[in-house]
Amino acid sequence: MAAAGLCPCRALLSGRGGALRALCGAVRGLAAGPETHFGFQTVTEAERREKIYQVFESVAKKYDVMNDSMTLGIHRVWKDILVHKMNPSPGTLLLDVAGGTGDIAFRFINYVRSARERQLQRKLKNHQNLSWQEISESYQEDKFKLLGDSQVVVCDINKEMLKVGKQKAQHLGYSEGLSWVLGNAEELPFDDDKFDVYTIAFGIRNVTRIDLALEEAYRVLKPGGRFLCLEFSRVSNPLLSRLYDLYSFQVIPVLGEVIAGDWKSYQYLVESIRRFPPQEELKAMIEDAGFLKVDYQNLNSGIVAIHSGFKL
Amino acid sequence: CPARTVLRLATALPGPPGRAAGPGQDRHSDHGQGQGSARPQPLDPSLLRFLVCPLSKRPLRYEEATNELINEELGIAYPIIDGIPNMVPEAARTTQKKPPAEGSKQP
Repeated sequence: MAAAGLCPCRALLSGRGGALRALCGAVRGLAAGPETHFGFQTVTEAERREKIYQVFESVAKKYDVMNDSMTLGIHRVWKDILVHKMNPSPGTLLLDVAGGTGDIAFRFINYVRSARERQLQRKLKNHQNLSWQEISESYQEDKFKLLGDSQVVVCDINKEMLKVGKQKAQHLGYSEGLSWVLGNAEELPFDDDKFDVYTIAFGIRNVTRIDLALEEAYRVLKPGGRFLCLEFSRVSNPLLSRLYDLYSFQVIPVLGEVIAGDWKSYQYLVESIRRFPPQEELKAMIEDAGFLKVDYQNLNSGIVAIHSGFKL
Repeated sequence: CPARTVLRLATALPGPPGRAAGPGQDRHSDHGQGQGSARPQPLDPSLLRFLVCPLSKRPLRYEEATNELINEELGIAYPIIDGIPNMVPEAARTTQKKPPAEGSKQP
C-alpha cells in the first residue's frame, strides 16, 4: 500500500496558491488509483474513507448548527429549491443518499403532504354529489392517507449522522413514510429499478468513488426516474471567487472551532469543496453513468449547483 | 420465492413503524445510549421491499431471533441496530463456521 504523503499544502493554507492548485491538480489525476485526496492531502482510498467517517462522526451533533452559521441559514433555501425542483407528487418513492440528518427527507414529506391536501381539497370540491357509499368511505383513515403512499428512505454511511437524523425526526414528529438505512453510496443495499427519485445533497463530495456512486444511483432508479444532486461547485466570477475563498479559509474553520470545537473537520470541508469537480465535469460524469438530459442550475453564482439527470 | 417469504414475515413483525412518534416517548432521551433496552428494535417492514445484500444484490431474509438480515447464499448476516439496518459489508458477520470470505469485523 502506497505511503500517504502529506502535501506541503497544509503550511500554505491561507487560501492562496496557483502553485498549490497545480500540485493538487497533479494529485487529482491519481484519483482513479489507490491514491486520492482528503482535502489538500494525498491519502489512500481506505484512509480517505476512514478520515471522512471520522469527520462526520465528530460533527454530527453540531452539523445543523454549523450549517446555519456557515451559510447564514442560506443552506435552507438551497434545500427548499432542490425539493421544489423535484416537485414530487403523492406516491413518489425517494431515496435520499448521504441524507444523514434528514433535511431533504423532512422537506420531501412536507411537500407531498401539502400536495396531498390540495389534491384532496380539489377532489372534494369537484365531487359535490357524493353517494352515501363515498361519504362513509371518506370517514375511514386509509382513504385519506396523509402522504398518499409517498415514501422516503434515508441512506447514510455514518451511524452518528443517522442517529441525529432519527432523533430529529422523533422530535419534529415525522414517522410515517420515513425509514433509515446505514449503507454505502458506492454499494447500495437496494434492488434495481426501485425509486422514482434519488437525491444526494452535500454528500457526493465526500464519496471516494463518485463514479461508482453515480452507477449505483442509475441502477436503483426506475426507468423514468430522476437523479438530483445538490453540491458546492465552482464560482466563475473572479471577485466573488476571492471573497468566497477568503470567507471559506479564514472564517469557516474558526467557526468550526468556536461552535463545534473542531477546526480540522471544517478545514477539510472547505478544502474538499475546492477539490470537487466543477459543474461541467460533474455533468460529464453523470452522463457517463448513463443518465440523459443532464443539466445543472447554479445557485448564488455557482457557490452551489443542482445537477439533474434522468434514467430513460 | 424468498422475497415473498420475507414480505410475509414483514407483515407479522412486532412494533409498528409509527412507534417513533408515540406520545409516551421521552423525546430528549439519547436513543440507544444506556437506555438498557432489552428488546432489539426491528426495522421498518416497508424497507424489506427495497433491501438487498449490497454485495450480491440478492434478496435477504429477516431473522427475528437475532434481529438480522441474512443472505443465505453468501452465508452472511447484517445487524439491525436501533431499528436501523446496517448494510455495509464490513458490519456483516458470517453465519457459517467456514473461514470468512466477506469482512466480518464486529460493528
